Amino acid sequence: MRRGWPFYAQLGLTVLLCLFIVVPIVMSALAGVTVNVFKGLSSGLTLRWIFEVWDLYAQSILLSLWLAVACLVVTTLAGVPLAYVLVRRPNRLTRMFEEILTLPVAIPGLALALALLITYGGFGSFRSSWVFILIGHVLFTMPFMVRSVAAVMSAMDMKTLEEGAASLGAGFWHRFLHVIMPNAMPGILAGALMVVTLSIGEFNLTWMLHTPLTKTLPVGLADSYASMRLEIGSAYTLIFFVLIMPLLIAMQMLANPGKKRRAALQPAEDE
Amino acid sequence: MNATAMAQPGSQTVQTEKTGGTRIELARCTKTFPDGTRALLPFDLTINGGETLVLLGPSGCGKTTILRLIAGLEFPDAGGKITFGEDDVTRQSIEKRRVGMVFQSYALFPNMTVAENVAYGLKVQKVERRERDERVRAMLEMMHIDMLADRRIDQLSGGQRQRVALARAIALRPRVLLLDEPLTALDAKLRVKLRTEINSLLRKLGITAIYVTHDQEEAMALGDRIVVMQKGAIAQIGTPREIYRAPLSPFVADFVGASNRLDGRIEQNSLVLGDVKISLDQIGHAMTGDPIKNGDSNSNSRSGQGLADIYFRADGLAICAPDQGQIRGRVEAISYLGEKSRLTVSGIGESVITLDVDPDFQIAIGDDIHCRFNPERLTVFGRYPDARNAAQAM
Ligand SMILES: Nc1ncnc2c1ncn2[C@@H]1O[C@H](COP(=O)(O)OP(=O)(O)O)[C@@H](O)[C@H]1O
Ligand SMILES: [Mg+2]
Repeated sequence: MRRGWPFYAQLGLTVLLCLFIVVPIVMSALAGVTVNVFKGLSSGLTLRWIFEVWDLYAQSILLSLWLAVACLVVTTLAGVPLAYVLVRRPNRLTRMFEEILTLPVAIPGLALALALLITYGGFGSFRSSWVFILIGHVLFTMPFMVRSVAAVMSAMDMKTLEEGAASLGAGFWHRFLHVIMPNAMPGILAGALMVVTLSIGEFNLTWMLHTPLTKTLPVGLADSYASMRLEIGSAYTLIFFVLIMPLLIAMQMLANPGKKRRAALQPAEDE
Repeated sequence: MNATAMAQPGSQTVQTEKTGGTRIELARCTKTFPDGTRALLPFDLTINGGETLVLLGPSGCGKTTILRLIAGLEFPDAGGKITFGEDDVTRQSIEKRRVGMVFQSYALFPNMTVAENVAYGLKVQKVERRERDERVRAMLEMMHIDMLADRRIDQLSGGQRQRVALARAIALRPRVLLLDEPLTALDAKLRVKLRTEINSLLRKLGITAIYVTHDQEEAMALGDRIVVMQKGAIAQIGTPREIYRAPLSPFVADFVGASNRLDGRIEQNSLVLGDVKISLDQIGHAMTGDPIKNGDSNSNSRSGQGLADIYFRADGLAICAPDQGQIRGRVEAISYLGEKSRLTVSGIGESVITLDVDPDFQIAIGDDIHCRFNPERLTVFGRYPDARNAAQAM
């Protein structure tokens, strides 16, 4: 099949754009494993910088992972029931609550952090603990969890499903755990990935909230760019990519459920 | 097929009454929703053990609300009382009532297979594994869906889903089976087929069942008795034959398919329609007294004077030879229905009248025809302001 010039023009543009994004990533990743960036690749490849980053910033990286998990636990435990109430009892109060919940997304992270500092900055040990940052992350990521779960819940006629389960004798908790939760799982998963990704990558808010002992991965990243050799900063970026890429890919796959259904049988015809 | 599965004694928690059906009574029930909607006006209703009662009425008349009161999904206003046999369940929650429900949308659990859906209630009741599997298998067999046991719900057709919903609802041997327009989402042919199946299932189980529908034919086919509802009130309770042949009000007559209406007068024990005069004694069903107080069509108040509404189906008027004709009309449309042709005729009343003829009868649109009434098939109501309004407000 012959294709006209518009096709090739488009293809070219797309490739160019991709290169525009991909090349710096590749360059930066390569810089992280090059012996000497200024001499270029000819100086040879090494894992030395990666190890050095680990030596210097293992604390920050581990703290970030820990924060992401803690943040996920909190947003799931609080967010799923919250989404349930928002969908099941839509009234003025719950709608207002939903708006308030979304605020932290709209407000700049720095402003939110400042508010937290003004309010809780005086509590010394609390101020300097990782829990302080966790609170910031939970505030920031909660709306993503709630929204994602609520979207799935509104699409599944929860009321009738629950009534069906209740007629079979199931009390509230049985219904919630065995009917609502499993059916809301796609939303919970999507929300969870979002929360983890956002928490690991969050910089603005965390930068304001952190103390020398509670540096997270992105804060450490900024730190390394500012004060270390270029190779170390690049190696750090590489580690960040390795952590975040699988999450992004998983999120993309969840967003395309069509592909999963491919194997499923067609609905049967009525006889 | 598998009647034994139903008869075998189950665990104590899930056993139907010995008689095979629980008698249900609603006394002085009303329902007002929080927003002020009075969905149900005060009513009493008794459903006999093992009976299939059909709630029939147009959309919004309160059928679902009655069903939900019985299920325990809504509670009646203060003063109302609901009993299952000897058991006062008025304030009991749905989880404790042991009712089986079939929803219009089926409400099957998408996260479970067919077998898991049917087993759900048994699991909740902690029926032990072996008995559970056995009963699920028996249920699926009885509903002819045993080959679908491991399918996911989204791989089923509408008819199959309906069967799963039924199997799930009766697996626990509930005291009463509640069905809310269960066939509405299906196409016409399947609807008739499933209707027959549900009918024989209900007879076989001997379970008390309440079936909500807005379809007159479905109501006739399934109900031991039919409750016709109108705007939150019970318009008539009776067997299908009574409802069909002896409607108590123009509303009921119209709703169960007597769609032809003519204006007439009642004079000296006769129905008068222009030049036509028919003795009231010949009329199949004449209600010339107060339709509420004198439900009996033989009451002696039928000699009253005044205006009358005449209702009849397509068999109430027939084409005849010109010299025997009582009235004349003009054919506006002909639809061939196979075993008969249905004519739409103008010139007889204010609006058009439908009547049936033999499909081989030679007739064309625009023909003038002569017709005779079949008095046996006429329903006549003396005109009361209330009854009129009710019929028109539909
Ligand atoms: N939860 C509710 N809140 C307020 N009004 C309701 C509610 N449920 C039903 N209604 C009203 O009660 C009336 C009867 O409804 P319903 O029983 O569903 O009718 P049907 O099943 O006969 O179509 C309708 O006017 C409906 O709008
Ligand atoms: Mg309804």
